[in-house]
Amino acid sequence: MTEQEVFQQVVKILTPYVKNQEALDQVAMGTNILEDLKVNSARLVDVVLAFEDEFDIEIADEDVDKVNAVGDAVTLILQKVG
Amino acid sequence: MPSTGDETGLGAGLARGEEARLRRQIRIGRWLSPFWVPLAVAVMRWGFGWRVENAAELREAYRRLRSESSAPLLICANHLTLVDSFLVAWALGSPGFYLRHYDALPWNLPETTNFATTLWSRAGVYLMKSVPIRRGGAREEVAATLDRFAWLLRRGEVGLVFPEGGRSRTGRVDPESSAYGVGRVVKAIPECRVLCVYLRGEKQENWSALPVRGDRFRGAIAMVEPKSDRSGLRASLEISRQIVAKLADLERDHFDR
Repeated sequence: MTEQEVFQQVVKILTPYVKNQEALDQVAMGTNILEDLKVNSARLVDVVLAFEDEFDIEIADEDVDKVNAVGDAVTLILQKVG
Repeated sequence: MPSTGDETGLGAGLARGEEARLRRQIRIGRWLSPFWVPLAVAVMRWGFGWRVENAAELREAYRRLRSESSAPLLICANHLTLVDSFLVAWALGSPGFYLRHYDALPWNLPETTNFATTLWSRAGVYLMKSVPIRRGGAREEVAATLDRFAWLLRRGEVGLVFPEGGRSRTGRVDPESSAYGVGRVVKAIPECRVLCVYLRGEKQENWSALPVRGDRFRGAIAMVEPKSDRSGLRASLEISRQIVAKLADLERDHFDR
């Protein structure tokens, strides 16, 4: 999978949880998931579980700690997918 | 004992400076506890007129639990008001008990924006065995706070958390609402015991900042052994959900009584 493909899938998964539509319209790798997109922190777990299902990967607790921006999620998924 | 799908190193070792800071916080809190512990209880008992109806029974059970094992103990309680951590601690021990057994007084993870915004509130939080957490903050910051909390549990301190992740907006325990961080802490400490505490005032119909003045509380406690064969996030979430489910059971018993 290319970085762009993963990015598009990540944004698609995030979309139902996003509260800031304006930020979503301009989403980029550097967009912060909690602060910019206003995804509820409690829902971040659901988002990560959706990443696991979508990409058939397993994400450890410590890996979740590193996911702040959309790009962090993309990088993490690309690493796991290999 | 909770099974562990995969153990993280949460609380296994902090930076030396961090450990020193927490040890200092414990020492200062303990030195000043003859002032602040009775004061906190006096405010609840005489300032607000609150009373825990079955305090003797709860305190006896808590004393017994503490004497049975020195394994880490995490208290998981239902959450309806901003002062639940004070109420739960009071329900489980008298001021005299906590002065004699300071490590039995639970540590809390108060939300920074609620409790640690002014100099005075920060000082209070520091004294009263708290590690403020910014929910929704940067993930690494939240993880660092959980790391400190787990470290405290591993060294024999008691922790108190609210596994629903916030005050229940329905006024009842919501089995669908569970903070995965609680499961993460439990999973990281294999020998950790989990004590569920359900405490509710007679006049508490919904969530609020404070209980009604003069309210009478009743509590119930139960140990739970959450298990998960999964790993990673799913294990943490499953453990959290089992704990919340036990709180929901206690709530059912409370209203069936």
